[in-house]
Amino acid sequence: MAEYKLDCLFEACPIPLLKALKQLEKMSIGDVLIMHTDHNCSIKNVVEWTKKQGHYIDYIEISEGEWEIYIEKAR
Amino acid sequence: MKIYHKIFKKPWPYWVGGIILALLNILMLSITGSAWKVTTGFLFWGAGILEKVGFAPNKWYYFAAYNNGLKDGQSFFMNTYTVINFAVIIGALLAVLWASEFKWKKIKSFRQLGFALLGGILMGYGTRLSFGCNIGAYFSAIPSFSLHGWVFGIFMFVGAAIGCKILYKYLL
Repeated sequence: MAEYKLDCLFEACPIPLLKALKQLEKMSIGDVLIMHTDHNCSIKNVVEWTKKQGHYIDYIEISEGEWEIYIEKAR
Repeated sequence: MKIYHKIFKKPWPYWVGGIILALLNILMLSITGSAWKVTTGFLFWGAGILEKVGFAPNKWYYFAAYNNGLKDGQSFFMNTYTVINFAVIIGALLAVLWASEFKWKKIKSFRQLGFALLGGILMGYGTRLSFGCNIGAYFSAIPSFSLHGWVFGIFMFVGAAIGCKILYKYLL
């Protein structure tokens, strides 16, 4: 159950989503990925995409216009 | 609080945005006589700056050969494109302020700056070859029953797919 951090600050679509996909590929089941982003599209497209892939996902706004997205690799 | 959260904070579904954009574009067409375009405005700003420093872009073949869309009394800076482009920026600013998500963003690295400039130049060049960006040559072209909108659309998806593959494989 390892934990990985992904810095996606100041990056726009599709960079955060592609970075997350690439990182998830390297992780094993049960590992958690924490994405740090300030791109408000990410809380829509990253969340949608990872849900479609069947992973567990949640996010919170940690300060104005900044989010942490938590993804647990499920398969 | 719940309504505020739903309207200003949470991203709207794509279909809601699509319907609103379509209605606004119809409104724009009926008021100004031309559907929504973006990059032509940037072209005029560039040409206007060149004019200010002594060039004569209005004599260029491009502006002579194609209808430039400027009406009588409009100039490179004072035209409907300028108004709508500023309106888009102001509208986006209001949306992030209402959601209290406004944030100054930094340039992450020299690499990011370089790729952003390169991408911007390629996109700008491309919009002139195709007479518009994804707004003028796609979003406004298809409801105008212009075939070029569909051609643009197909190759936009092809380009995005290739771009993502290159990004994923070599650049990230």
